[in-house]
Amino acid sequence: MQNQGFEPETCIPDGMRHGGSLAKATLPEPIKALEPFKEKLHIISGLHGIHTSPSHSAFFGALGGYRGSDGVPPSASTIDYELSRALPETLLPHLCIGMDSLENMKTKPTVANLSASGAGQPIFMHSNPNHLYQTLYGGISKGEIRKQHEARSGMLDRIGQLAAAKGGTLPISEKQRYGEFVQGFEDMNGLRERLGSVSDHLRNFAPKVDDRYSSPEFETDWHDVLLDLGISSLKSGITNVLTIGSGRGEIFGSWKGLGIEQQGHNLGHMKQKDNPIWIKIRQYNSRMLVKIMEELESVPEGNGTMMDNTLIVYTSNNADKQHTNGANWPVMLLGNCDGAFKSGCFTHVDGKRPINALYSTILRSVGVSNDHFNMTEKMAKKFDSGSGPLREILA
Amino acid sequence: MRVILRGVVACALGAGIGWAEPYTPGEPVKLGFKDFASGFLDYHCLECHDEATKKGELSLEDLGPIDETNADLWKSIWAQVSLREMPPKKKEQPEVIERLQFSDWIVAELQRVMKDKGGFQAHLDPQKGNFLEHDLLFGKLPEGIKLAPAASPKRIWRVTPQEHITRLNELINSEPNYDPKKPGVRTRGDVVPTNHGGELKLYFGVDRIIKWQGGTVAYATSVKSVPVVLSSARKHGLENYPNFYTVNSAEATQILGKAEDILRYMAYGPLSIANPEQITDDPNTYEKVRPKGDLRGLPTALVYSTKVKRPLTPVYELMKASELSENLLQSAVDYVFEAVTFRPPTSKESEQYLLVVSEAIERVGKEDGVFIGLSAIFLDRDALFRPELGAGGKPARDGRVMLQDWELGLAVNHALSYIKPDEELRRAIVEGRMRTKVDVKREVTRMLEDDSLRKPRILRFFRDFFDHDLGGYICKDNNALAATGVSARGTAHYRAMFDATASTDRLIELILEEDKDVLKELLTTQKVVATRNDNTYFGRLRTQKEREAVAAEQRRAGKVAKEKAAAELKILNNKLTSLDDRIKAVKDGRAKRDLAREKKQLEGARKRAQDVVKKGVRKKGNPSVEEAKLSGSQIFARVSHRSFGNGSMKPERTLATAPEGERLGILTHPSWLVSHSDAMDNHAILRGRWIRERLLGGGIPDVPITVDAMLPDEPNTTLRSRMRVTRETYCWTCHEKMDPLGLPFEMYNHAGVLRTTELGKPVDTSGAIIDSGDPKLDGPVTNALDLIQKLSESERVEQVFVRHAFRFWMGRNETLNDAHVLQEAHLAYRESGGSMKALILSLVTSDAFLYRK
Repeated sequence: MQNQGFEPETCIPDGMRHGGSLAKATLPEPIKALEPFKEKLHIISGLHGIHTSPSHSAFFGALGGYRGSDGVPPSASTIDYELSRALPETLLPHLCIGMDSLENMKTKPTVANLSASGAGQPIFMHSNPNHLYQTLYGGISKGEIRKQHEARSGMLDRIGQLAAAKGGTLPISEKQRYGEFVQGFEDMNGLRERLGSVSDHLRNFAPKVDDRYSSPEFETDWHDVLLDLGISSLKSGITNVLTIGSGRGEIFGSWKGLGIEQQGHNLGHMKQKDNPIWIKIRQYNSRMLVKIMEELESVPEGNGTMMDNTLIVYTSNNADKQHTNGANWPVMLLGNCDGAFKSGCFTHVDGKRPINALYSTILRSVGVSNDHFNMTEKMAKKFDSGSGPLREILA
Repeated sequence: MRVILRGVVACALGAGIGWAEPYTPGEPVKLGFKDFASGFLDYHCLECHDEATKKGELSLEDLGPIDETNADLWKSIWAQVSLREMPPKKKEQPEVIERLQFSDWIVAELQRVMKDKGGFQAHLDPQKGNFLEHDLLFGKLPEGIKLAPAASPKRIWRVTPQEHITRLNELINSEPNYDPKKPGVRTRGDVVPTNHGGELKLYFGVDRIIKWQGGTVAYATSVKSVPVVLSSARKHGLENYPNFYTVNSAEATQILGKAEDILRYMAYGPLSIANPEQITDDPNTYEKVRPKGDLRGLPTALVYSTKVKRPLTPVYELMKASELSENLLQSAVDYVFEAVTFRPPTSKESEQYLLVVSEAIERVGKEDGVFIGLSAIFLDRDALFRPELGAGGKPARDGRVMLQDWELGLAVNHALSYIKPDEELRRAIVEGRMRTKVDVKREVTRMLEDDSLRKPRILRFFRDFFDHDLGGYICKDNNALAATGVSARGTAHYRAMFDATASTDRLIELILEEDKDVLKELLTTQKVVATRNDNTYFGRLRTQKEREAVAAEQRRAGKVAKEKAAAELKILNNKLTSLDDRIKAVKDGRAKRDLAREKKQLEGARKRAQDVVKKGVRKKGNPSVEEAKLSGSQIFARVSHRSFGNGSMKPERTLATAPEGERLGILTHPSWLVSHSDAMDNHAILRGRWIRERLLGGGIPDVPITVDAMLPDEPNTTLRSRMRVTRETYCWTCHEKMDPLGLPFEMYNHAGVLRTTELGKPVDTSGAIIDSGDPKLDGPVTNALDLIQKLSESERVEQVFVRHAFRFWMGRNETLNDAHVLQEAHLAYRESGGSMKALILSLVTSDAFLYRK
């Protein structure tokens, strides 16, 4: 989920207007890195998100398919959370990573702008790789990370015990509700223990901690290691759903490590097509996508690889551009999820189906039937010309 | 069949199982399906709902004892019978006790059967509070009912999100003391309010920010803040019963993370979030050394003053000291414990947490160890749940135990306040003077009389009661919003609604200050607390004809202005030509400069005239709305800290009078009207339901799942007309309780603007009060003002208000055993001339508040 919009011209091959195979097309410069993966790629334009009022950012509405705005709490759950509910249970159901300027990631290591488990229930993105590493791999870490991990573990064990002890005197009617609180500690400690119990397995996947964690030169150092952590959590089976917010769903962001001196909101006001700055950012994104695919291809799964059963959705939290009305919300899909989705092509839909239809399609691919994701019939009548999945993208 | 069944019931009663013994509400149900419920169904229901008749496509003939497969059906039966919807009024009615016992039996059975399947709690929901017949609570009870002494269950009560944030705010921000000259300005003890976007957040150090880069969004992004992490239901009503919430692991994890942020800020202030050079009283010094480039949206875009504003606590002392001392550590532990639980730790608790902190320090050193260790206290049970367990009290013979000491003191504190007990209350608790009803009366009276002791819980009650704070969260369709006459640009409407919430809150406070006929005043006041936007929201939508006339006038005025500007332009051009000649001719330097200055001025005037000629003049006023002229003295409303730079909410308000004959009390204010609207239109059903439940004390059964609860989508048709579908017999039994009460509000559009026409015809504002329970009230009403006037004069409405206050302060639905408490509370309210203080005092000194069982 890259912020500041995703101009369709920066991903649709020249000369393609209504759709067709990508086999003979040349991908535009910003996404050139995906050229070898063209058969896995599906470029979609013409979905809309008018009802999400994206303008600067639709915030939770980008993944939720409802109106969002700065400071406005989520009004329902988002697609990534719903997917994590539908997919087989994992140690950590859902991991969200947020990439921003180094300052923002340091001073606000967890923010919530994109994912939510329900109305008023945001899910936080992790932006400090040291904290995330501690959470995921504290049990197999060494040195300072190990010490921090042990200090926190010790504290959590203690408060778990204290909490349990204070439940003893409660009446039966209250025991169950309080029990959920105590269970929370058991879950937290349990996650640690579960991660600990598979430490030999995790050791094979944990990224190597280097100087980029403790002394990053640029924000991209942290972006890179966060991506490593995210990929490792997929490969190791810690989670099945990974959400990456580049720019953390807001209107700022920084890529000094790519040699881009300008940062923040100005980037959003620039035209993206043929803009060297945006070409660099999009190329960086594309390299990240390639990395995810290559890494997942290296993990055998069934008769193929983990990538064969994966779908990567790449888009923006504010449709096509800054100050947009959301009439066109381009998306790139990578992978076909065991043949469920079409790939190797470009599809232009007529601008009458909302991003909710895409989410509805994805949710159906994991067996959850729904006609309009997060949309009442009344809203759907106004904002969706169809019902159910987007047939154009299904195999 | 009927004749035979009479015999069955008679047998059951003859066996003495029914109400031969006195009936005591709340006692375990001894009756069973075979010996009681089955007979009830046979006698009262099967005449219409047997296989042969199957009225409403429902047969109960084969309905067996409650199990998980028929639980939904039994739940519907429970609702219908409790609400006295069934048997129909024209049929023979069950005796009161029989009905109550049947209802008790269903609830008990549903609880038993559903125990491992998510449980059954519907009867505990405040929306079902009215399932208990109003007249039984306030009227004479039939013989055979023996009430038990009032008491509430032993319980732990989770703190609310607002309470939690306000509690944490105390650790990092010093709020100003109460200023009697500006009573509306937010002060210490007031709740941390939602921000410009309606989001509840805790801000770090914004009281010290003296400069920032970029606009409003850049400011909001660069400022450190903590969102609320405890969950809560959005569409609230009474949203804070103890049994509603727990704290899940996701919340606990976040609380821990945020606790470390808070503790670091307590120790280091803005230095915990900023670089040393950002802390200066002269922003220019930072300007010279700040990172180059665009800093908007970054924490380094801020400059903080050097003045320390946060409270300096033992955590600060601990981290300032170069050596780690046990004394400092202990006092930090004890301080944090009391700050988050509102009571001092016991010596055991103190020791336990000292151990947690010491262990953490041992592992990672003082710097991180202190913060990791102290953060544990934020997850203590009593930091998140307030216990009301009757600890230390001796149960009386009836099994009740009175709260005492800290439990009682904190219960009293919580009844009014979100922050820890003030010194006097604390002293009373510590000195053993919080053990009797007299103690409670003394402290509550004192607290109610002291304006400087803020009481946000009272305001919270009114928010929960009126639900007037939801307007900003109702997502509007842009075209539908524009058609109302208010601004549909950007977030203007939503921000206006968050402002309107703060304004209505303030209006409620003003009425509470008078403390006379509070409910009646709230329902009928002509006062308006207004922002400038409210001139539109309290205005009148012009008719099509009027709009055309205004537009024509605007066009005419534009034409005149253009002509005038063209004439001026001619003159200015001539003047400039002659001035150029003079400039060329003059030799003296000073005179030349004077003429050049004059030329600049003339050029400015020419530019303005050219613009008018080219683009015309900006149209004055809103052609769609005849604005209200809300004027009066300046007052203040409680708004959040500067959270959005220059775009933050402003506290300034005007205390005005509503346009005559157009509004009547809060229910006619845009904050309430929009809160009870939807994306496209008014929500007459929701409004009607609100009146039925909150003012008339009626109940509405849940919508049957077989009902497709949708109005037809017919553009250019009035809501009233589209609501014709609810008049079908199957729907109307419920909708007649709501629709005629909601439709009188059609005199306003869905932004709350008054309208006299709708789709070119006079708007139909008629409605009716049907079967209210108070025959004096029943009958047609001409519009919302007529409806509200009638309701405001009803004693029943007053009693229903008291029932809601009971629920709020007791945290549970009333039972028949609470009848005396409710009657006393109502009497206190009446005899005091409608004083909210008297009502609260009566409630919190009642047995229902003081005793646990």
